[in-house]
Amino acid sequence: MVDELLFFMEVLVGGLLAGTMYSLVALGFVLIFKASATFNFSQGAMVFFSVLAFCGFMQDFNIPFVLAFILAALLMVVVGLCTERLVLRPLMNASEDTVLMATIGLGYVLEGLAQAAWGVEVRRLDLGIGDFPVPWIADNLKLFISALDIFAGLVAALMIIGLFLLFKYTKIGLGLRAVADDAGAASSIGIPLKHIMLLVWSAAGVVALVAGCMWGARAGVQFALVDLALKALPVLIIGGFSSIPGAIVGGLIIGATEKVLEVYIGPFFGGAIEGWAPYVLAIFFLLYRPEGLFGEKIIRRV
Amino acid sequence: MSNTSANILDIKNIEVRYDNVILALHDVSLKVPKGKVVALLGANGAGKSTTLKAVSTMLASERGKVTNGSIEYDGNAIDKQTPSQMVGLGMVQVLEGRRCFGHLTVEENIISGAYSRKLSKGDINQELEKIYAYFIRLKERRKSQAAFTSGGEQQMIAVARAMMAKPKMLLLDEPTMGLAPQLVAEIFNIVKELNTKEGVSILLAEQNTNVALKNSDYGYIIETGRVMLDGTAQSLLNDDKVKELYLGISKKGRKNFRDVLKEESLTKRSN
Repeated sequence: MVDELLFFMEVLVGGLLAGTMYSLVALGFVLIFKASATFNFSQGAMVFFSVLAFCGFMQDFNIPFVLAFILAALLMVVVGLCTERLVLRPLMNASEDTVLMATIGLGYVLEGLAQAAWGVEVRRLDLGIGDFPVPWIADNLKLFISALDIFAGLVAALMIIGLFLLFKYTKIGLGLRAVADDAGAASSIGIPLKHIMLLVWSAAGVVALVAGCMWGARAGVQFALVDLALKALPVLIIGGFSSIPGAIVGGLIIGATEKVLEVYIGPFFGGAIEGWAPYVLAIFFLLYRPEGLFGEKIIRRV
Repeated sequence: MSNTSANILDIKNIEVRYDNVILALHDVSLKVPKGKVVALLGANGAGKSTTLKAVSTMLASERGKVTNGSIEYDGNAIDKQTPSQMVGLGMVQVLEGRRCFGHLTVEENIISGAYSRKLSKGDINQELEKIYAYFIRLKERRKSQAAFTSGGEQQMIAVARAMMAKPKMLLLDEPTMGLAPQLVAEIFNIVKELNTKEGVSILLAEQNTNVALKNSDYGYIIETGRVMLDGTAQSLLNDDKVKELYLGISKKGRKNFRDVLKEESLTKRSN
């Protein structure tokens, strides 16, 4: 009995921590959704592009870890700059659907560039934190929890706190929230949209890099990261597209339920339900709470 | 180059097209003297908003373009400026329909107006207090989410937000739309006060002809993209055509909705 409970706890905690990795990916989507009101389909490609560049800097040019990370982050700022200048600004007055299609195109460009520059083979990324159970927790609590999962959880928490402070207490954060509410009114009082776009795309790029590092350390830096990022879609449907806390909680819910369902219900379906269970959950949310748990309700005065 | 002329805004024969095809303004010329309130009057679709957006350069974001004529603000031609540059030059537009940031608090809305200025936290608080002196109602509601305030309060937020940019000139687009008469009076009192105490020049687009003229120095009446009539506010208020068409007062006496209905029923019965 105790063993079963421990096993359940282990599955649950493992799921929650894995969920923070989904949260990290979802965060990038939320940032861009807030400013551009569009789902950025290139987010997965940004994850792949950024972490592949990071590995490339370290492994092909022997640049030390920290410097390589900073270079990769700067590269993502440049990507943000180019995206604003070459894609978003010409589409300034286009409909949201047009921008959505443009992000799909941008995704292909980034995937292609990344592979052209750094090659197509799977790279190993060593963060210096192993993907194996922490001995101390295993001995004292009898739970087998991966050190990488715990690290990812901590990093996710730090990023969220950082972004929250940025949005709530800085001038540019206020500008971003204003643009998210009404871009036309924001520009009428002198908030320059291009600065806000640049900030948001750069921030989403850096978030993509961090998420890429976590996933890359676990599964190898490879093309599959692009598709993995789409797991953020059910996370966002559950959490709400425009909410940072929503991305976090959504990620935790997806992480926990997919692991628990896989272990306890999976055998009835012949296993491997992890792949689709989150989407089923997302469908229920779409039916009964389409704005998500934390999504901004459409405020309508009566 | 400093502006030596008496007009802060000088629009000369502008023509505006949307999507390069739809002609919204045929020929509009108007002047706003420094420190004065000028009313731009006309029905829906006459071209009031388009004129204001041509001045604030917000037209571009709606695929509109000034295709002829010129606009001079403070002695300099406006053509390549972006809306945020115009705000930097002291020209701020309060858009039609208030357009508050619904998820932000009242105070955050107002502070966002100071985005283009480099102010310290202390300066911002000082400016806020100055603004609240005009908008006492907003101070009481500073922590409420803007979307949950009343229509009148939202209009005040929009004007207060624009004032935080420290404008030399305000463009107000139908500030009294959908508001009760007391609120209309309250809004105009504030506008008048901002004009006299802060020295802000104002170009005001309104359908509410009577109240607008009573609070303005000069007026222009536009119809289908052309200026039909202009004159001092007093002369327009006394003009027979204006009375008949825009104030609903004809020589035969007051023409109101009940009279129209009565006339209609009489003609029906005689048929």
